[in-house]
Amino acid sequence: MNLVSLAVRNVGRNRFRTSLTVLGVAVAVVAFVLLRTVISSMEVAVTHAAHDRIGIRHKVSFIMQLPRRYVDTVRQTPGVHSATWANWFGGKDPRNPREFFPTMAVDPPSFLDVYDEIAVSPADRERWFADRQGALVGDQLARLLHLRVGDTVTLAGTIYPGNWVFHVSGIYTTTRRSMDRSEFLFHWDYLNNAIPERRRDQVGWIIARVDNPRQATGVSAGIDRAFDVQDIQTLSMSERSMNLSFMGMMSGVLAAINVISGIILLILLMLFGNTMSMGVRERTQEYGVLRALGFLPKHIAGFILGEAAALGLTAGVLGLALSYPFVQYGLGRWLEENMGSMVPYFRIEVATAALALGFSLLLGVAAAVIPALRASRLTVTDALRRID
Amino acid sequence: MVQLTNVVKTFQRGAEVITVLDGLNVTIAEGSFEALMGPSGSGKSTLLNLVAGLDRATSGVVNVAGQDLTTMTDGDLAAFRARYIGFIFQSYNLMPVLTALENVELPLLLTKIPSADRKKRAATALRVVGLEDRANHYPRMLSGGQEQRVAIARAIVNDPKIIVADEPTGDLDRKSADQILALLEKLNKDFKKTIVMVTHDPEAASHARVTHHLNKGAFQ
Ligand SMILES: Nc1ncnc2c1ncn2[C@@H]1O[C@H](COP(=O)(O)OP(=O)(O)O)[C@@H](O)[C@H]1O
Ligand SMILES: [Mg+2]
Repeated sequence: MNLVSLAVRNVGRNRFRTSLTVLGVAVAVVAFVLLRTVISSMEVAVTHAAHDRIGIRHKVSFIMQLPRRYVDTVRQTPGVHSATWANWFGGKDPRNPREFFPTMAVDPPSFLDVYDEIAVSPADRERWFADRQGALVGDQLARLLHLRVGDTVTLAGTIYPGNWVFHVSGIYTTTRRSMDRSEFLFHWDYLNNAIPERRRDQVGWIIARVDNPRQATGVSAGIDRAFDVQDIQTLSMSERSMNLSFMGMMSGVLAAINVISGIILLILLMLFGNTMSMGVRERTQEYGVLRALGFLPKHIAGFILGEAAALGLTAGVLGLALSYPFVQYGLGRWLEENMGSMVPYFRIEVATAALALGFSLLLGVAAAVIPALRASRLTVTDALRRID
Repeated sequence: MVQLTNVVKTFQRGAEVITVLDGLNVTIAEGSFEALMGPSGSGKSTLLNLVAGLDRATSGVVNVAGQDLTTMTDGDLAAFRARYIGFIFQSYNLMPVLTALENVELPLLLTKIPSADRKKRAATALRVVGLEDRANHYPRMLSGGQEQRVAIARAIVNDPKIIVADEPTGDLDRKSADQILALLEKLNKDFKKTIVMVTHDPEAASHARVTHHLNKGAFQ
């Protein structure tokens, strides 16, 4: 036995009250981790945005299209390394009508060139390039829709009506987090040749890779300037700025999340404070006995703070243990598979886990500071008299 | 061993000042076993607390084991208690989360004695009170008399010069009380401990060599 074990043993003293506190704090920790992870997964989108990519869209609105020939102009702009394009197809799988996933018509070779974080086996790549009806599917989407290479899928077009038949040519993963793993990519030519004449040769947006990420802003301006004199003007922005402006749109939500996180921490403090002050009050006489035996006020404060630290740590560890199955594997998997374009990477960051554990420990101890000071400042006789 | 000279102790209760001990003089020789009797509220516990260094006299000199307690700092008083005083309380006051052996070991945590030796000494003290077979029992598993014997083991484990006991048999039945009193006599005779015991019980006082009667803050 030593002084620390004496403090720790007091935690299990009132099992019922301790269990309720630990459980209450653990639930609050799960909520805290969940909210923090919402924020961090959005920040991941910004931090991991490719620094060297520019998105170019119609100046008026992103739902309006650009002429296909603009791609060639972009490719000739100084500072541009390569460029590709995509059309939002908005396909739905009639067998899984509730699942939302991005479907895009792209130019396969240049798309893989610009999105070099897409990892696809050489065999799948060849198969996709060779088959005009071929589709390249992210591994998360493939798992969701139970798709395998060689399968035939029919998607219902919402923007381009009709039933569209595709062959799954390959499955991709990503080497960086800047690309979502639940997209459905197919040949733009297939789409372009199948639609009415007047809708042809239009692209949804253009994506360019620049030679030097530091010049992305200058190159964006250069591209927009090149189209200034044309009848359709463009708005170019780095991928990072696009994600930042998305975060900006979400700033109200983020602020609300921060406020709620703060409230959760306050609840933690109150739960701990209540438990500790009740426990300390009940044990005042024991502190008197310890003082009579020669223990000092600092020992008493140490016992109480040590007990609080043990309580905070226990609750924090339990909260984290619950957070992983709930946030990461339950809700997180669901979010990634269903809202992958917004939260491509919904994982509990080590920093979030450390923060939650740290707060639980810190607030447990902080809540005990006043009870500890009060108990240690009592005179020996006052503490002992609490018995009578 | 204990010498009180003109000791006054007053308490402030709101605006009122209560004089509990009013110029007390008493000497207790080394190796003596003395009982302190008197009606409730007469100041017995207050006096015992002064001797044990738990509280300070308002005026006068309290000299215990050759040391003047009235000039000591709080820290010195704590060190004094740890070294010279063994406490026995009416309601045992064991730590419920510790076993009998650990409760006895508790005062030794303030010393530099290594863990293994602490355990040995605690076990020896438990043997003196006849509870070596209850070493791993928690207080709630023991009878009142057994709890008080564990408390006595705790009081003697650091080999103090003086044992102070505030109504040590107050919560016990006659049989357990007699065992405790016999134990105190043994500590006094065989281990040469100076014992100061507060009690209501004339039977308990009869075990002591000297009995002081306190009334309204003065000896009779
Ligand atoms: N800390 C205190 N504050 C105020 N009054 C006290 C305090 N301690 C003791 N007293 C008063 O001093 C008197 C003597 O108390 P005490 O020594 O406990 O008596 P006894 O032990 O003889 O029953 C009582 O009237 C009690 O109320
Ligand atoms: Mg009393």
